[in-house]
Amino acid sequence: MLVNFYQEKDQGTPLLKCLTDFEINAKLTVLNVNAGFFAKRKLSNLGILTGVKIIKKRAAPLRGPIELIVKGSSLAIGRGLATKIVVKCEEPCTL
Amino acid sequence: MSNSISKKRKISKKAKYKDIINIALAGNANVGKSVIFNQLTGLSQTIGNWPGKTVEKMEGHLNFLGYHFNIVDLPGIYSLSTYSLEEIISRAYIVSEEVDIIINVIDATNLERNLFFTFQLLELKVPMILAINQMDIFYKRNLILNFKKLEDIFKLPVIPVVAVHGKGVHKLLEEAIELVVYKHPTSHYIQNSKKIHEQLSHDDKKVKNDLSIKKTFQFPDLSSILKCGKEVETKVYELIRNVDKFSNYFSKFNYPSRFLAIKILERDEEIEKLFKANQETSYIIDLVEKYRKELEEYHGEDISTIISSEIYTNIHKIIEEVVNVKTHVEKKLFWADKIDHLTTHSFWGYVILALILFGIYFFTFLIGDFFGGVIEDMFEALNNFIYEVYGDDNLGVKIFWEGGLGGLFGAVGGVLVYVIPFFLIIEILQDSGYLPRAAYLMDRFMHSLGVHGKTIIPMILGFGCNVPACTGCRIMETEREKKISIALTSLVPCAAVMTVVLGLVGRYVGITWVLILFVINFIVIIIVGKILNKILPGQCTELIMEMHEYRVPNYSVILKQTWVRTKEFIYKAMPIIIISGIILEILFMFRLLDPVNSLLSPITVYWLGLPAITGIFLIYGILRKELTLVLLALLANSMGTTLLGLLTPFQMIIFSLVTMLYIPCFATVVLIAKETNWKFALKITLLEIGMALLIGGIINWGFIFLTSF
Repeated sequence: MLVNFYQEKDQGTPLLKCLTDFEINAKLTVLNVNAGFFAKRKLSNLGILTGVKIIKKRAAPLRGPIELIVKGSSLAIGRGLATKIVVKCEEPCTL
Repeated sequence: MSNSISKKRKISKKAKYKDIINIALAGNANVGKSVIFNQLTGLSQTIGNWPGKTVEKMEGHLNFLGYHFNIVDLPGIYSLSTYSLEEIISRAYIVSEEVDIIINVIDATNLERNLFFTFQLLELKVPMILAINQMDIFYKRNLILNFKKLEDIFKLPVIPVVAVHGKGVHKLLEEAIELVVYKHPTSHYIQNSKKIHEQLSHDDKKVKNDLSIKKTFQFPDLSSILKCGKEVETKVYELIRNVDKFSNYFSKFNYPSRFLAIKILERDEEIEKLFKANQETSYIIDLVEKYRKELEEYHGEDISTIISSEIYTNIHKIIEEVVNVKTHVEKKLFWADKIDHLTTHSFWGYVILALILFGIYFFTFLIGDFFGGVIEDMFEALNNFIYEVYGDDNLGVKIFWEGGLGGLFGAVGGVLVYVIPFFLIIEILQDSGYLPRAAYLMDRFMHSLGVHGKTIIPMILGFGCNVPACTGCRIMETEREKKISIALTSLVPCAAVMTVVLGLVGRYVGITWVLILFVINFIVIIIVGKILNKILPGQCTELIMEMHEYRVPNYSVILKQTWVRTKEFIYKAMPIIIISGIILEILFMFRLLDPVNSLLSPITVYWLGLPAITGIFLIYGILRKELTLVLLALLANSMGTTLLGLLTPFQMIIFSLVTMLYIPCFATVVLIAKETNWKFALKITLLEIGMALLIGGIINWGFIFLTSF
């Protein structure tokens, strides 16, 4: 599924990038959530679904949680979980 | 106004009617359910700006327009799946016969996510009113909400509310009466619907007492907005058909068949149990398994994501229809954003956190010390006066004045003066919305103790009182995290401990030692956290937490909450303080304390280097920790000296340290047992006693060792 998504957008398959890889204020689109059943369900209830646009608002220092804006409200997500959220950058942005 | 009067008249012949209406407030966390609850019932459910305050459903009553309302405030939840205790409880409660009408409280500033829960509620087909809260903030953002359209879409009453100012909250009740009387939702934006209602003058049979509103309520047909995508819908339709075959069996659970079908498809454990419980229906589970597999293959997602995204798609369509932007304004950085930025800053955030934690103590110490001194002087003056009048050796005076009133003055001057400003700060912190930021900042650190950042919220509240803070540990998701959080929270120096430390060490030794004591306490917390993290099986889960915007604390709310807490403190603590003061005075007079003290003296005198008399205070302290200080002051008073005559500064430090750590107070132990089990409560207690004696002893002997040179 993921591969298809990339193939129609760009040529080739770039490396998967997760929420933690992007800089602050990056406008992102969720591609996949690779978390376990419970975390995934909770995130989906809160609106983090494939194709949803999110903004990375800030990251706490020392590998702390990441705050993002989804559907107009802020959500803090632990670093470990954030690495499981695969995203792509909406606009070309430096990495 | 005239509207309500006419309604009153209508209802005046209520004798035969159902005149008790049971209402439940449901909705996401932190949308203002408790605020509405407090506005309606005049009670004081804890409120604040962080998700998870309401951990237990709370009930209140009021009479309005001739009806008796029972109002229940449910904990905030995000969906009706059964993955957390709150969700299970809330769902069972919502469909039960105990509730007539659900008021779904929705945060206007966060419509999309709030409507997700609303959609789940709609599937339950219960009589429902939508209360759109925080409209004031919504308007401030230059947005317009089309209520007429919203009612057209949901076909249920939609009421704008500003809960903090009490605007619109009674309108909710009027609407509830309408629903009960007409058993049919009205729309006040469509004149026709109102007219139809007026014509449908309710005949007596319709609202008889024995009729459950839920059974007779005509829930509007909302299939057009609840409809999912075609693939999902066909599967759900098939499942509904199968479920309906056993409508006899399923009807007793009060769930509509569509709700059952969707939830079984979503692999909801509770619903699966229902299907498995009956031999005949268990075949459906296999069918569901097949459908789920097909759907997951088709969409390439797991089922919960598919259904959630279907719902969010529907919601998005509605939002686009009903929300309009008035004028496009350049988005300025509001003060809330600025503070938000500063308090979560990688460097300044921690500085502010440290300042706030330090500020809590500094502020309370400053205010408490001032008023404490004033009250002490007053007591001194009164004391001299009383003895001049009654003479020095009047036994009755000695018992009741020294013991009883002395206890009262000790409690007011030594404890209450610290407790009130303390509660005030805690309330401001709660109401402003700072706590989730602290959780955000501390998440990384708390992971090293085996819990995620949210634990910091009950811990900060624990500065006020450990008892409600331990209940607050329910916001933790897993049993393991709850246990660790409770253990950590019970070690946080609460207001009572703080009064002991400030009143003894702060006043007579100096603020440096107070700081050192708190540092020791926090080291102990870290050690206990590390130990538990190693011992308890399982892993630490990740933080998922909503960060709500800052808001200006509402002064009337804060003052009221502070007053309520103080009142509670007075009612609970004062009688104990006064009575134990009298008992102590009697015991002291007849020298009955000696056996107890000599029994404890190996620990108190030899190991900790304290006077033997402190043994009994430490036992009293199990009841309430501030008693140790109050009784100590009483004793000093009756012996005609000050605290300095009783304890050396060094003994004060040891005594405060032991009081700080040696045991969570009795109420906390009981609560820990209730939240977890007695075994765990006992373990924590023993661990803390061990810690206190170990550290106290080490400091005492270390000091003796150092001074012996």
